[in-house]
Amino acid sequence: MNTKTLMYIVKRVLLAIVTIWVVITVTFFVMHAVPGGPFTGEKAVTKQVMAAMEAKYGLDKPLGTQYLTYLKDVCLHFDFGPSLKQRGRNVNGIILDGMKTSAKLGIIAALIALIFGVVLGSFAALRRNKLVDRIIMVMTTAFVSMPSFIMGSFLLIIFAISLKIFPANGAARNGLFLPVVTLSLYPMAYITRLTRSSMLEVLGQDYIRTAKAKGVSGTKIIFGHALKNSLIPVITYFGPMLAGIVTGSLVVEQIFAVPGIGRAFVNSITGRDYPLVMGTTIILAALIVIMNLIGDIMYKVVDPRITLE
Amino acid sequence: MKKKLFSVLLAMTMVLSLVACGAKKGPAEDGINVCLASEPATLDPALQSAVDCGIVINHLFAGLATWEEGANGESVLAPDCITEFTEGVENPDGTVTYTYTLRDGLTWSDGKAVTAGDFVFAWNRAASPATAADYGYMFDVIDGYDAMWADDAKGDETLNVQAPDDKTLVVTLKNQVPYWNELMAFPTYKPVREDVVSNEAWATEPKTMICNGAYTIESWEHNSYLTLRKRDDFVDAAKVTMPAINFYLSDDVNNDLANFKNGDWQFIDDVPTNEIPALKKDYPDEFVITGNVGTYYLCWNVNEDLLPNSDLEGTEKALAEAEIRNAINLLVDRNYIVEDVSQGGQVPASSFVAMGLTDADGTEFYKNAGNNDYTGYFDVSKEAYEKTWEEAKEILKKYYTFDEASGKFTDMPSLVYLYNTNEGHKAIAEAIQSNFAQMGINMSLENQEWATFLETRKNGDFSVARNGWLGDYNDPISFLDMWTTVSGNNDVQLGKGDNETVKAYSIDLTDLGYDTKVENGTWAETYDVVISDIKTCTDPKTRYALMHKAEDLLMSTGTICPIYYYTDLYMIDDSVDGFFTTPLGFKYFMYCTINK
Repeated sequence: MNTKTLMYIVKRVLLAIVTIWVVITVTFFVMHAVPGGPFTGEKAVTKQVMAAMEAKYGLDKPLGTQYLTYLKDVCLHFDFGPSLKQRGRNVNGIILDGMKTSAKLGIIAALIALIFGVVLGSFAALRRNKLVDRIIMVMTTAFVSMPSFIMGSFLLIIFAISLKIFPANGAARNGLFLPVVTLSLYPMAYITRLTRSSMLEVLGQDYIRTAKAKGVSGTKIIFGHALKNSLIPVITYFGPMLAGIVTGSLVVEQIFAVPGIGRAFVNSITGRDYPLVMGTTIILAALIVIMNLIGDIMYKVVDPRITLE
Repeated sequence: MKKKLFSVLLAMTMVLSLVACGAKKGPAEDGINVCLASEPATLDPALQSAVDCGIVINHLFAGLATWEEGANGESVLAPDCITEFTEGVENPDGTVTYTYTLRDGLTWSDGKAVTAGDFVFAWNRAASPATAADYGYMFDVIDGYDAMWADDAKGDETLNVQAPDDKTLVVTLKNQVPYWNELMAFPTYKPVREDVVSNEAWATEPKTMICNGAYTIESWEHNSYLTLRKRDDFVDAAKVTMPAINFYLSDDVNNDLANFKNGDWQFIDDVPTNEIPALKKDYPDEFVITGNVGTYYLCWNVNEDLLPNSDLEGTEKALAEAEIRNAINLLVDRNYIVEDVSQGGQVPASSFVAMGLTDADGTEFYKNAGNNDYTGYFDVSKEAYEKTWEEAKEILKKYYTFDEASGKFTDMPSLVYLYNTNEGHKAIAEAIQSNFAQMGINMSLENQEWATFLETRKNGDFSVARNGWLGDYNDPISFLDMWTTVSGNNDVQLGKGDNETVKAYSIDLTDLGYDTKVENGTWAETYDVVISDIKTCTDPKTRYALMHKAEDLLMSTGTICPIYYYTDLYMIDDSVDGFFTTPLGFKYFMYCTINK
């Protein structure tokens, strides 16, 4: 890696930190500006109780002071503070619990999307305009254009209610199966189409014709030359795909009641659980920033012709 | 090529098997699967304030009293940790002292004995300002509570509750409290142990959660499920038939219903509103509608100007506006709402205090409200709707211009109906909107997200808003004391803002032996006085009469427009026996059996 690339990475990391700081600041002040608080409920608590609760969690201090204290806790101790709604639990623990499930869901979905996408895409390219290709193309068009909440509900009705093969609840045994499938279908279809078109392009290149002319075996041409080069666009899609899976899981976790970070995020907002809103926002923002960073660096790694600036 | 294909296939299988190996230990296999709501806000008895938390706590902790199923399926109170309910002894100063004896063999889940001192500690903890519990006020009937919360309190004040020895508990109440036994069965009154709760996170993990009830926590995957395991050393273990309970923690009603339909779960506590007609048809025995102590209502902001072009002022204007509100309230077609909109077996309401609360003589309080030959403050029957509609029209004609040709009023002020974002509330709002429109009242609808809505309504930044109230215990006071001037639930702003100085309320308590007789006084001079009289009244008959008077006064303001009395909807699999629920919505699974 040359100094130019290294400089670029350092610059991008610094920019990522600034981005996250902006996210923290904006979220913090917007969140406090929204009407309603963590201790408002259908049944009002007395003024004394409210005052005691606010004092306990430091919400009685000026907003500026709260902000500085929060920044200090997060940056120096990586402490997101106590949850205001789930009393006795702290946000770090809640996020960790949610991340375990969400990460499993996301990583498996990404792997499935990659493996199935590349295989189906190559297959379609090699069988161009044959029946298999047509079927694969129709299916992927459907998966790409169908939003995940429709796909999720569809799978739920077929496999959980009618056929009773898989549970409807994400927390049950084998409960992650349907959410994983729902989450992976879109990126899988996208990768299939990407691989197919890129493979077709590569197969038409001069060097492939040269290889054929030299008598290189078909398998070697496909795996040794064509596939490797046709994967470049797929790899560059990897960053945006992971970011898409992170945000897509917000919907999927809701449909299948998966106890992931997405559900914690949504519930924290409706409940005005300030520390949990901040914690989940920071983690999700950091994830997306990092995914994009990795994606950009991957560009350079797989294609040395690209210069990073 | 084949080798490569094989390795790709192998990789796929590995990925898929990753998905299959799900949770580690998983919920109990021998238990009932139920779903009440999402992750409970807390399982600390002192801090809980939601019914779903209360239900889990009732299975984990045993208080002085509990609910049991009576011979006819009704809920009856029974002594739990005490040998019997005793009669209170009235002291010369009007306070009442109860002495209870704890049963033998009561233990905590770590084997230590339950003592009377544990109750003394738990109650003081739950009531204290330092704990700042939502339901701390549940202890306000006990002598000493007021001193704890006084402005000059030092922080070392305690409730008048003593434990002379490990088996004896002596409680002194401010005065006779008709619902005292019921309070003792409430989750907030459950005992906790001082050394256990000294760890602030004690109620969040199975190993630190030491309880004294029928069950203990076996496993708790936060936001997924909570498994309770029966305690074999529990004093009443022989009565407990369900070995384990898996509480699935989910609040997506559509997903919950899917789990019920495919047979994974035996009980769900809520259903999607739009599915109700289908569920009634497809699951006639498993879809259950039962009574619930609560009222769904529309509330008016008392400070909303309904006569902007009138010369009326002060008392006269306030009385006229009350008359107008009461007339408009008559326009709502409640029977249509319950039968065609909400469809959950709700009962059209004509009073604020809900169905299901008893009166002094044991009859239903709501049936005696209003002193009319029909139930409540107006006739809510289907047949009477046309007549009440005409009555309302005649009243409104006194204040607004009626156009005979169109059959509508032409100069009524426009209203904005505020509700929290929810399809069910929206449908009801639209029904009311259409009722009003037929009379020429232009009412637009505005929805807000839940927490924002609560704040807006509390601050009185609305003209008309959706509202609802569920009682905490079977006594009408839990519906009436929320309308005092200082109450945080007084969303209609009676006695607040401009209404603070309005002298338009009258009350006469002389027939009940009180000196109070106010004509055209402020809200504080009338309503607040009756409520404080109710709280100190020791004669049950007089007390209930006072409560009727309070409701009469409240309803005369027209600020409350009752729509229906709530019902509790749930689904229970027909293989389950022994389940029961109380009118306050507390469900008991410990006596269940599953017959597959």
